Amino acid sequence: MAEERRRFQNLRSVRWRVDLGILPASPEASVEELRRAAADSRRRYVSLRRRLLVDPHLPKEEDRSSNLVVDNPLSQNPDSSWGRFFRGAELEKTVDQDLSRLYPEDGSYFQTPACQAMLRRILLMWCLQHPECGYRQGMHELLAPLVYVLQVDIDKLSEVRKLHEDCFNDDFDGVPFPDTDMVFSYKPRKDSKWGAGGDADNGSVRASKVNTLDELDLDTKDIILLSDAYGAEGELGIVLSERFMEHDAYSMFDGLMDGGNGVVRMAEFFSASKVGSSSSLPPVIEASSSLFHLLSIVEPSLHNHFIELDVEPQYFALRWLRVLFGREFCLNDLLVVWDEVFAYSNDMLLSNDEEYSFRILCSYRGAFIAAMAVSMLLHLRSSLLATEINTSCLQRLLNFPNNVDVQKLIEKARSLQSIAIDANTSSPSFLLKKDNYEYDRVHSNLATSTPPRTPLHPLSESYWEEQWRNLHKDGTGPKEIEKGNSFSRSLKKSLSQRLGLSRTESDPSPVKAVRLKSDTKNPVRRCLLNTLSDEVIRSREVAGKIQQDDFPIVSTHKEPLLSSEGPSQLKAAYEDLTVPAEPADVSETQTAEACVVEACSSGENSPVFYAARAGDEHENNHDSHSERSSITSDSCAGDNDRDEIPQDEPSNCNCEDKTVSESASSDKNSEPVGPSERTAVSNERKPFISKLQWLLKLGRPSGEGNTDKGTCETSSDKHDVVAPIPSPSDVSSDNSRSSINLAPGDKKVVGTLKNIGQNMLENIQVIESAFQQDRGQPSPMENFSNNILGGKGQVTAMAALTELRKISNLLREM
Amino acid sequence: MVLVLALGDLHNPHRAPDLPAKFKSMLVPGKIQHIICTGNLCNKEVHDYLKSLCPDLHITRGEYDEDARYPETKTLTIGQFKLGLCHGHQVVPWGDLDSLAMLQRQLDVDILVTGHTHQFKAYKHEGGVVINPGSATGAYSSITYDVNPSFVLMDIDGLRVVVYVYELIDGEVKVDKIDFKKTATTHA
Repeated sequence: MAEERRRFQNLRSVRWRVDLGILPASPEASVEELRRAAADSRRRYVSLRRRLLVDPHLPKEEDRSSNLVVDNPLSQNPDSSWGRFFRGAELEKTVDQDLSRLYPEDGSYFQTPACQAMLRRILLMWCLQHPECGYRQGMHELLAPLVYVLQVDIDKLSEVRKLHEDCFNDDFDGVPFPDTDMVFSYKPRKDSKWGAGGDADNGSVRASKVNTLDELDLDTKDIILLSDAYGAEGELGIVLSERFMEHDAYSMFDGLMDGGNGVVRMAEFFSASKVGSSSSLPPVIEASSSLFHLLSIVEPSLHNHFIELDVEPQYFALRWLRVLFGREFCLNDLLVVWDEVFAYSNDMLLSNDEEYSFRILCSYRGAFIAAMAVSMLLHLRSSLLATEINTSCLQRLLNFPNNVDVQKLIEKARSLQSIAIDANTSSPSFLLKKDNYEYDRVHSNLATSTPPRTPLHPLSESYWEEQWRNLHKDGTGPKEIEKGNSFSRSLKKSLSQRLGLSRTESDPSPVKAVRLKSDTKNPVRRCLLNTLSDEVIRSREVAGKIQQDDFPIVSTHKEPLLSSEGPSQLKAAYEDLTVPAEPADVSETQTAEACVVEACSSGENSPVFYAARAGDEHENNHDSHSERSSITSDSCAGDNDRDEIPQDEPSNCNCEDKTVSESASSDKNSEPVGPSERTAVSNERKPFISKLQWLLKLGRPSGEGNTDKGTCETSSDKHDVVAPIPSPSDVSSDNSRSSINLAPGDKKVVGTLKNIGQNMLENIQVIESAFQQDRGQPSPMENFSNNILGGKGQVTAMAALTELRKISNLLREM
Repeated sequence: MVLVLALGDLHNPHRAPDLPAKFKSMLVPGKIQHIICTGNLCNKEVHDYLKSLCPDLHITRGEYDEDARYPETKTLTIGQFKLGLCHGHQVVPWGDLDSLAMLQRQLDVDILVTGHTHQFKAYKHEGGVVINPGSATGAYSSITYDVNPSFVLMDIDGLRVVVYVYELIDGEVKVDKIDFKKTATTHA
């Protein structure tokens, strides 16, 4: 922000006074204006002081006797001057307690009595002027650097004075009037030419020196101009003046605490009241949560870590914010940090009616403060993530290392600053509730602008919706990829969990469309398949790494997708799946999926259906459907069967036994259909099954053309649907296939059906997982809140079931 | 800026039950640095109460005091002033200025505080001050029954002492102030 050479670059006290609003900020402000502003601020201070620091001993000329009842030392009357005196005395005692501990190292400037007295007076005055705030510990630490920079600049001034003494002399008009008599009235000057002797050249005595202001460098020139005793406002206007150091320090302190009509008012951070914040929290708590919010956007893993360890931001942020990082950096570094902080303007960025989440982020300065805090957290990231308990984490935070490169931290903070400002307005009402944290994670990572939902059925609703929404953002853009990646990651995680499990686990595809309009299914399908295969591939590479993830909900769903649950549920799932017309496709799809999956993986991931199918396939019998179905369900029900299934699957997977599979699938389909309330036409399914299978095997994208078309077509009668199935499937199809003529264009249809099927599959898997939870099977994932799923497993299961029902209804309608 | 409370002749419990409520409300701990008491508190409770107001407590013995260990006279130095304390029943005639001046010279003090008469008096006398804070409870004396509760607060600041007199007249606290300045060159 300070690319251009800022005025008074080297004179911190002047620059800070400009930044804090005491001196005029416009770059064209002349020295005169600066001087006038300085003089005004000093006058204000003096009048304040005269008013507040009352000595009750001073004899009041008037009313000697009048108000003795009020004004005696023991008076309880709050108006009495003695009362004020005593209150001031108490305040002083409190202030002294803190001042005695201010930078107590030896030789510290702050421990000199003069400085202590000045600090004490300033703090007393400010507290008396602001009785609603009172004195709080930490105010002295905000004041100390301000006084320090004033002192530094005054030292600089005296150095310049020594170097360029001529410029400071008192000669009128700068023209030396030679004294008449050299002998008696020469002014002894260090720089005068002693040996000049009888020269009448007095006029040239000083001419040879560097004493025209323009010859000096800009900084020195500034210093000199600002300190001219005869400039505007005379001595009161000398901007760098030791005499008025207290006045200037008070103005700066006041500017800092009051924020100069801006957003960040340090005084608010000291108050426990709820005034001045956009929520019902004290401002400092709100500001702390703002930096957590920013952290959750920037570095979610660290944010989650904090939440798990139950580390609330105000534990450490209170100190950081109240003293503006004064305790975290050494004095010189702190000055650099404050340079940056003050350089940003404190003006409110938003108009009155704009909504914002955190008040502190409404100005550049506030946003930079938050960003600085986050960058400090990021600096400690690795060591923080390594801590296991919250006390060690806090210890690490409260003992910020001394040897940091402040510039790097500042640069990082600059980059985060804009994110902070955006975060403030993009997602209002993100505040506070702990429940919202998960939402924040999920939503902020998705960068959607959906407001957080009340956690009534958080998983059932938002998870699915979210999935759906994510899916529909597919197509171009990094989002998709990112989501895919994140999904893959979460899946990876879940998969890695399952690597150790012998059971076949159902592996749902990463995203699922919930409220399905069939026309939306194809892209869904595409995405699903893509991500599924991706993640399956990647799962191999995963070494059991668990990620604190963007999609905890997703992963939690995934993990417990172990096989075998209530058979009845499964049957129901099957029923749902085997909805008329499409169910065949569905199962086909699933089979196909299974094939795909199997082809890719080593058979560790297999949706239930695959298992079931394998079982069916295994049976390899076209006998009574019910029989087969029972076998199917049994196989599903039993873990053991499961185990053997995967081995079987690969063999089947290549769809060599299309017949078998299709018959199996058809059987399977028919079985649940029987008991199902919906009628299913098994024979019609067979061709679908085989066709879909073949199609899937060939490659997904083909079938996933336009959903709409496919849907429309599928929406027709089952037979119709059957009919237009593309011919290629005939290749592998058998008997049943003959009745079907799949038109090439119907690949889309198939795709749609696949989508539907996949969705059903996933729903079933969810149900399974829910039941898995119900059974209390230990979930391999420990990071995520198993508790999330625990109570909500049922909910999810029910939701999934409803989805399946819906899907089937849809298909039916078609 | 030292606040010194001077009081006495409370005669608790014989002649008066307690300090007046309005006085008690004014006397809060933390403001006063010294208490000098002329005597005749009578019992220990008053002593403890005064001690709670300020830890630096000086008492001389009055004729009705139950604690016999209090001294007859006491001198102390606060700031630039030397203070002398005595109950005053020893000085006959009671309350006579010249006799008290004798005592003041004897003790060599700038400010002499005595009681026993239960009447507030403050004299400037020969470069010094003689103060009688009266009776803090308004207890009757050997001389008179009509006694207003009163006590004295001295504000010693360098060479100047401001004497605030608090009297309870007709149920109201009346305050008066007297300024004394010590001359740099002290007495004879």
